[in-house]
Amino acid sequence: MEQQNDPVITRHRELERIANMALRAGRIMMESGASVSVVHAGVGMIARGFGVEDVGMRSGYASLEVTVHAGGNTITRMMQVGRLGVNHRLDQAIRRLAVRVSQGGMSVDEVEAEIGRLVRETPRHPAWVVALAVGIACASFGRLLGVDWPAFGAVLVAGTVGQYMRHQLLHHGVNVFIVAGLIAFLAATLGGIGSTLLNSGTVSLAMMASILLLVPGVPSTNAQTDIMDGYPTMGSARAVWVLMIMVFASVGVWFAEALLGLRSL
Amino acid sequence: MLELLPHLLHQALFGALAAAGFGVLFNFGFKALPWCAAAGALALAVRTVGQDLAWSLEGASFAAAIVTSCSVSALRRHLGPACNAVALAGCIPMVPGAFFGQALLGFLSVTAPNLVDAEATLIVAVQSLLRVIFTLGAIGAGLLIPAQLLRNQDF
Repeated sequence: MEQQNDPVITRHRELERIANMALRAGRIMMESGASVSVVHAGVGMIARGFGVEDVGMRSGYASLEVTVHAGGNTITRMMQVGRLGVNHRLDQAIRRLAVRVSQGGMSVDEVEAEIGRLVRETPRHPAWVVALAVGIACASFGRLLGVDWPAFGAVLVAGTVGQYMRHQLLHHGVNVFIVAGLIAFLAATLGGIGSTLLNSGTVSLAMMASILLLVPGVPSTNAQTDIMDGYPTMGSARAVWVLMIMVFASVGVWFAEALLGLRSL
Repeated sequence: MLELLPHLLHQALFGALAAAGFGVLFNFGFKALPWCAAAGALALAVRTVGQDLAWSLEGASFAAAIVTSCSVSALRRHLGPACNAVALAGCIPMVPGAFFGQALLGFLSVTAPNLVDAEATLIVAVQSLLRVIFTLGAIGAGLLIPAQLLRNQDF
């Protein structure tokens, strides 16, 4: 009973709610492809919107920590971050929310409810649309690399099937690196068989173009952005992640080439 | 110069398609996708012109990223804080994923038994890897420098 009336404990509880809510927004931005500096700025804007005087943050690859200080009270909280992907619309929606919160006038309950609503209701393209779009992107990449027209169709099909299977495997919680290896093998094999059947003269290029859906373009540029923004630890972690994805993808292509007799194991 | 036009249009068209396709994967809205496509077309057009002028891939990619980032920044009143993301989506078709794969496959080949020409294989793999590092660096710097100098808002 005494604890409930203690103003220090009460203030700590309020700060804890602010810290956790700001961290949740930061986690969503991080998982949606934002760079560390954007995440730090967003968390800071939200916390200061509730009267927090000082905000300190630390970002790891799998966790975020924030220290908030207000009215002589300080509290530090940490939150796990899930798999880092790219979700532009959700990222932008959370950024707009951060601006609104920074202008004041919202309660913690309202912001928590709004974050929940954005996560639930921000639209996503259907899986088949994404798969087809990625297939077209891979085939276009192929043309940029120099694949001929017969291979264009094979790469389109291989990229579409590869993206759809990647979505399914990730949805079922399969490890992201194993998914990269499996999808590289599948897409490269389909691209290789298809372009061979269509009498393409660019079978090897078609196999490589079929796996370009796996190339982590945003993480690789984010790695550089983070380093240039003064977060070399996070930038290095992202770079290592990119390298590991490409190692697994290359092994998948290696096995596909061996299966099609283009290379010995 | 006119004889280069079909090649330029080809590269711009498929740069646009690749950027828009990855825009869908990155969950850009339908209103933003044409901007991604336009950014991709611009980036590939500039890179192609640069390479036709005998620039290196790295130099042409840097110029393309700078031009794309500046162009998108000029539209920031219309695009808002999303302008940096649109520029990035436009430059995705220039990410040298195929070179990355070739480099790693080359390194895997070096460890194979009974390798005939190990030195040549290793040199090609190292060249591809260096090309990946420098091209990624060029794209990242080309995107970031205008965004920083023009003070594009992230929010």
